[in-house]
Amino acid sequence: MTEEFEPRIVAFLCNWCSYAGADSAGVARIPSPPNILPVRVMCSGRVSPEMVLRAFRAGADGVLVLGCHIGDCHYDSGNHRTAKRMPVLRRLLGYIGIEPERLRLDWVSAAEGGKFAQVTAEFTETVRELGPARQVMEL
Amino acid sequence: MIKELRRVVGELLDELDGVVALRESSEGVAPHLFRSGDDLTEMVLAPKYPMASVVDLLQNADPSVQLGVVARGCDERALIEMAKRQQVNLDNLKIIGIACSAEEAEECRCATPYPQNLLVGEKVKGVEDRLIAEHEALTRQERLEFWKRQFAKCLKCYGCRNVCPECFCEECVLEDELWAQTGVLPPPFPSFHVIRAMHTVGKCVGCGECELTCPADIPLTILYSLLRRDAKELFGYETGASIEDQPPLLVTLDQVPIRG
Repeated sequence: MTEEFEPRIVAFLCNWCSYAGADSAGVARIPSPPNILPVRVMCSGRVSPEMVLRAFRAGADGVLVLGCHIGDCHYDSGNHRTAKRMPVLRRLLGYIGIEPERLRLDWVSAAEGGKFAQVTAEFTETVRELGPARQVMEL
Repeated sequence: MIKELRRVVGELLDELDGVVALRESSEGVAPHLFRSGDDLTEMVLAPKYPMASVVDLLQNADPSVQLGVVARGCDERALIEMAKRQQVNLDNLKIIGIACSAEEAEECRCATPYPQNLLVGEKVKGVEDRLIAEHEALTRQERLEFWKRQFAKCLKCYGCRNVCPECFCEECVLEDELWAQTGVLPPPFPSFHVIRAMHTVGKCVGCGECELTCPADIPLTILYSLLRRDAKELFGYETGASIEDQPPLLVTLDQVPIRG
């Protein structure tokens, strides 16, 4: 009997907004999927394309990058970097035949516990449908 | 055309310290610093050679040197992108632009086979890259198989990086075990090549040297050209077009330069 596929998702959460947003979800007792492995970074702008690829290499089936909304960055414009590079990386993954949907960028503020739960749940289901990343990547 | 170039270079040598151009000798063709009084009949136009990095080397050795460089369209675009990143100084540089022939444009699948500072030769029309259209016609699964097959040929010689006029980091992430597995052949799909491709965004000028250099004949320019198109679509940025335009990944959404 084959075991049911449970996606493993690495979520890079910015310290100031999205990590606190995840906390808000917990405090408010809003359930979020257990598939999420949070990695706290000081800013979503710290998340280089190399880090995303490193997460895939480490066995992630999907990578989620969450940061402060544009205009709310603790470092003023750190998330502008993220806003620019992640869409490019998504297209690049698509060109070489990896589903761009395995990478998602979204903005979650410290108060948006509900949004954190919603985005993580949505993304988990998206990745579940895509199946294991092992099918496409050599890990 | 070569006679006209020799005449132009000869005149410019009166005011410049030297002009970088190709020279043919018994050892073959290589870039050479022509100086006043040198035999300009040794100067040749072809084959295409990446000249921007030569300028970088010479200017590093002597920042005050007044140089000229014989540059094709791609050389000029490379110099412009390098200048934006403080690798060359265009104030001390006279670009002696030459146009590529229709055959050369075809061979390079080049969209802009001429420089802005065109001094010698006639512009020919750019060529649509047929490999891009072919790639676009593939399904996702076919693309995956295509690139897996291509990247599996990689010897990790780093030739693509070494020859690239826009690769000048002193420490390269592709040599760092943390980001790209070292000591493994071929490099596991897809990290190595995706990292390199990501680093060409807003930099790649489409000179095609990476592909010419690649001993495994990996059609790298397909990826880089698609990303060049993305830079235009997403950010309205055309690499090498103007010294004024700011590289899209080095500015905020409000076009303010990002430091560090």
